[in-house]
Amino acid sequence: MIHPLLPNQLQKTQETMRMAAEFILRPISRKYDKAEHEPPLEMEQLNQAAAAQKEQTGVGDDSVKSMDLGGRSLWAVISLEQMCWGDVGLFLARPGTGLGNAAIMAVGNQDQKALWGKRWASMAITESGAGSDSKNISTTAVLEGDEWVLNGEKIYVTDGDRCDCVVVWATLNKDMGKTAIRSFIVEKGAPGFSVARLEKKLGIRASDTATLIFDNCRIPRENLLGGKEEIETDIHAAKKSFGGAMQTFDNTRPMVAGMAIGLGQAALDMTRALLTEEGYEDNFGRSIHQQTAIQNELEMLEAELEAARLLVYKSAWMMDNKMPNSKEASMGKAKAGRIGNKISLKCVEICSMKGFSEDHLLEKFSRDSKILDIFEGTQQIQQLIVARQVLGKSSSELK
Amino acid sequence: MQDYNTDHPFDITFSEEQQMTWDMLRKFAETELRPQARQAETDGRPSDDLLEKIKSLDLISLIIPELYGGMGLAQDAVSNALSLEALAYGDLSLAMSASVPLLTAQIITEHGSEEQKAELLPEFVNGSIFHVGLGINNTSLSTDPYQSSVLADENGEEIILSGSKTGIAFADEAKTFLISASNESGECNLYFVNKDQEGVELEQKEFMGLKGTPLSQINLSNCKIKASQKLGGHNYSINYESLVDSSRIGMSALALGVCQAVLDYVVPYTNERVAFDEPISNRQSVAFMVADIAIETEALRLMVYKSAALKDLDSDFHKQASLTYRFATHHGMKIGTDGVQLLGGHGFTHEHPVELWYRNLRAIGIFEGGAGV
Repeated sequence: MIHPLLPNQLQKTQETMRMAAEFILRPISRKYDKAEHEPPLEMEQLNQAAAAQKEQTGVGDDSVKSMDLGGRSLWAVISLEQMCWGDVGLFLARPGTGLGNAAIMAVGNQDQKALWGKRWASMAITESGAGSDSKNISTTAVLEGDEWVLNGEKIYVTDGDRCDCVVVWATLNKDMGKTAIRSFIVEKGAPGFSVARLEKKLGIRASDTATLIFDNCRIPRENLLGGKEEIETDIHAAKKSFGGAMQTFDNTRPMVAGMAIGLGQAALDMTRALLTEEGYEDNFGRSIHQQTAIQNELEMLEAELEAARLLVYKSAWMMDNKMPNSKEASMGKAKAGRIGNKISLKCVEICSMKGFSEDHLLEKFSRDSKILDIFEGTQQIQQLIVARQVLGKSSSELK
Repeated sequence: MQDYNTDHPFDITFSEEQQMTWDMLRKFAETELRPQARQAETDGRPSDDLLEKIKSLDLISLIIPELYGGMGLAQDAVSNALSLEALAYGDLSLAMSASVPLLTAQIITEHGSEEQKAELLPEFVNGSIFHVGLGINNTSLSTDPYQSSVLADENGEEIILSGSKTGIAFADEAKTFLISASNESGECNLYFVNKDQEGVELEQKEFMGLKGTPLSQINLSNCKIKASQKLGGHNYSINYESLVDSSRIGMSALALGVCQAVLDYVVPYTNERVAFDEPISNRQSVAFMVADIAIETEALRLMVYKSAALKDLDSDFHKQASLTYRFATHHGMKIGTDGVQLLGGHGFTHEHPVELWYRNLRAIGIFEGGAGV
């Protein structure tokens, strides 16, 4: 049945998480934007609210009940969309779950899921010489006896300072390209592992972004995520194994896209609130002859946001229904990333000096939104992925 | 925050019936409509043979109540939207040859008085599907789309209509017109006007697109009709906003079909067209344009589905329909222009259909009452 609508219970989840965002996050939004690198202490409340929702709706697992509502990923997207309506930076800073957790759940074996699934895991991929081209990473992992020895430097690790453990991408053999890339779980306190520094950033300042050093860092042999020690020589098998790691992104992109939707909605809502004080009313559906420039602009931005939202929901729904969603995840991320950014910047313009002022949060939204069109794959990487799939091209044909 | 009431999970899967209709109409669009699009443009109308085939799809007789000779199977908005998308994939003008009379029949079925239904519905099944011409499009630039550029002076038993309507499809075959007009209290309703009535003048018009459908303007000057010629009877008032919104979902579904046609055309073209020793789609500047067409088309599809699904829930769908038509307008035009751009000079000529789609997609956002769900 074609029914791209949320059942009542998910709409209740939306409502509850929106309230949590409004009453827990908004009041401390500015405080932690100013106090960069200071861990927010008020976040436990938010986690409790999310856990209570999970309990109440029963979508915390892959149960039948969860599918009755549309599934776990859709539930997650909807919840985090509302939390990010409150504050993206604080949402990213909430203790407990990071991108590493998604990787553990996607690639880890049963033991690894049991052992680390509930710990706060960040994800370390990017290096100074390898960004979107993650197959070029130069951090190395060498097996010595029953231990892996890691050497290298990782940058831009979200939650890198505050997390319990890090999922680190490293190569078993630099000459063998992506076939030799594996991910490892490194716990805080592992010998040779240190946090070098924290970045100062344009936005999402409440969230820590760390540079991590691995200097002869030794970790147990069983910390190789997925457990595959041998390097595939068969090219197809090799492609499949790297593809497996990249598949983590099919799961996480709808989430990051959901963040952009929440932020975009926040900017639109706040803009409307400020305009309403000066007598503004919406005028949907009227022609350009009846609408003011602002009514017209806000209607278009709202339409773009709604379009992005539906793309994102669809990609999450596909994931819940075990359909391959790589193209759709990238479509949603591309659309949501650029629209979230456009809306937030446009709203600053519409609200003029109030938009630009730190008296309000619009200027903050417009700084926070930029990263959502960059991390978890930039706009251009998403377009590349979509284009390759639509045109049926390999990465060597369409570079 | 709760916007609507449903316990059904989020879902984007065709029902079996929808899949069957989709396959049938999509095939019809590809084998019958697409090949005749150019000829219909040249002739200014579809061939008689094609019109016969369109009629025998039974899209209209399907929804006409059994009492009036039809099958009485009212369709849900989502299924209607799917049919429109499938047909427009072939050609927008030719799809409108089906969608305009379908909308007209839907309006009369839903709002007509018993007498009006008895008089007009059987002919949709037994005779011409164009015997009632639908006049929704305003002639003046600044008229609110939820109002009419025709004014209705309602005076007891007599109503006097003055003003013009344009973009009326197949007016030459119509015996009666169903015209929207605004009265003094600002309500917009629909009125039947007979072709041979005094004060009725018709003018054939040419537009930059939609050339495969004959379109006309109707000028009404002090045209006197009886109160019983008001749609639904003299005391009836229609929710005109809801009618326009429903039509906008329909127009958006048509736009979607054309956008998908553009995408499916530029993919093989850019893959085969070689410049600088390789397919032009190996370049990001070309490939990213194609990616964006794919993204916006898919987004439009979901917008159309959602608006139609909301209508099926009997929820307020005004905002959703407005956003959807707005999205279809903006991105339809963009996809139309990018389609031509990707083919370069070739796209500018009649050798390829992209220039036709470019012109037709410009009707989106302007044309009202061309389809409904």
